[in-house]
Amino acid sequence: MQSLDVISVNLWQIIISLANLLILFLTVKKFLFKPVTNILNQREKEIEDRYEKAQEAVGEADESKKKWEDKLRGANDEAEAILSSATENAKYRGDKIIEEARERAESIVRQAENEAELEYRKANDKIKQDIVDVSGSLAEKMLGREINTDDHRALIDSFIEKIGDDNDGDK
Amino acid sequence: MSKKSVRFKVVDLIYICMMILPAVIGIVLKILTTPKTEGISITGAQIYLSYPFPVQDLVITSAQVNSWLVMISITGLCLYLTHGLKTRDILKRQHFAEWIVEKVNGLVGQSMGEYFKGYAPFIAAIIGLSAFSSLITLIGLYPPTSDLNIVAGWAIITFVLITYYKMKCGPLYYIKSLTSPVLLTPLNVIGEIATPVSMAFRHYGNVLSGTVISVLVAAGLQGLSNIVFGNLPGFLGEFPFLQIGIPAVLSVYFDIFSGCLQAYIFAMLTMMYVSDGFPLEEYMKKKSLKRKSKNSAMEVN
Repeated sequence: MQSLDVISVNLWQIIISLANLLILFLTVKKFLFKPVTNILNQREKEIEDRYEKAQEAVGEADESKKKWEDKLRGANDEAEAILSSATENAKYRGDKIIEEARERAESIVRQAENEAELEYRKANDKIKQDIVDVSGSLAEKMLGREINTDDHRALIDSFIEKIGDDNDGDK
Repeated sequence: MSKKSVRFKVVDLIYICMMILPAVIGIVLKILTTPKTEGISITGAQIYLSYPFPVQDLVITSAQVNSWLVMISITGLCLYLTHGLKTRDILKRQHFAEWIVEKVNGLVGQSMGEYFKGYAPFIAAIIGLSAFSSLITLIGLYPPTSDLNIVAGWAIITFVLITYYKMKCGPLYYIKSLTSPVLLTPLNVIGEIATPVSMAFRHYGNVLSGTVISVLVAAGLQGLSNIVFGNLPGFLGEFPFLQIGIPAVLSVYFDIFSGCLQAYIFAMLTMMYVSDGFPLEEYMKKKSLKRKSKNSAMEVN
């Protein structure tokens, strides 16, 4: 079988080889570069999407955290308000009760005083009467005659008045 | 990772066959067609078929056939690497495919600039074809890159690209750049033509010289081994002991290192020449001027 010379130029061979390189260029472009570039772009897009989604999720989480924190703070406030209102209520009621009790006590005391005063008066009057009676009968016995109580009423009365005044002064 | 389906495996197998079968076919072809030769001879590619054609005969040589086989293998490799691309849980081969694409994109972006980004597949094709064409010698096939015609075809593409980009600002600009100092016009023209020629000869010469040196060293070692061990009795005296191992060292340099290096150099030179030949700023200026004039024309209308 024949061989070419070591250095030989053949136009058709050159053209075939030229075409070969162009064909291989198209092949490599179609079968290697295009799919790989596509997949790289796709992956980049996917990663970007995922990143965006993550960002979104973080935003949402922040939002809900804020919401719940607000809610919590609101609950605290509410609880405080309830507590304070309850305290106030209790204080108000306690005050009212105390007031009532004091009033009642005062009224009782007043009544008692009144009663005591009345009793005292009564007793005073009775004592006066007794003194009048006793002194009347005493004087009667001493004088030996009957004293008309009615006649000497004014005198006795002024006397007793004096005693009472003395007594009052002692008081 | 999800288990691969049977269909996926079958398609994988087809692609792997597409990668490996060309090599097997090449070896079989070589064994069937290699003429029995005595001694050493350095020839060009074998002619398988020859048709009468205008200007020159159309010959189908082993270089041509081998470069087709390489193309089929590379196509199979591309298909295999991009089979089952996913955005997550990616296969190992996808890592490799992405690595290749990103590296080539980076290389092209670095040495040619953003404007020429579309050149990445072309550069990848040049590197792949050239490197695999040279590496094919490892399985004993004739490397297409040691045939001048093959490399010349690639260089002509480069030349066309260079000239196209130089012409982009108009033929007048191109001629002006050639005759910038009037006295140097002939030199400029020669330089322009010398670019593809030098590229073709550099690549072809490097690979061919590697083959030549390898053949010479192998033959020399046979002779040396005859001298050293010739006195041993019988079969041992004829066996070329020195041919074991020593040519492999040369093969590592000439076939692997030089082959890959030349592929890289060819690609780098293509990128450099094309991007250097293109007066980007001038072109942009012209383009913006044109756009402005167009806009003004539209405004007038």
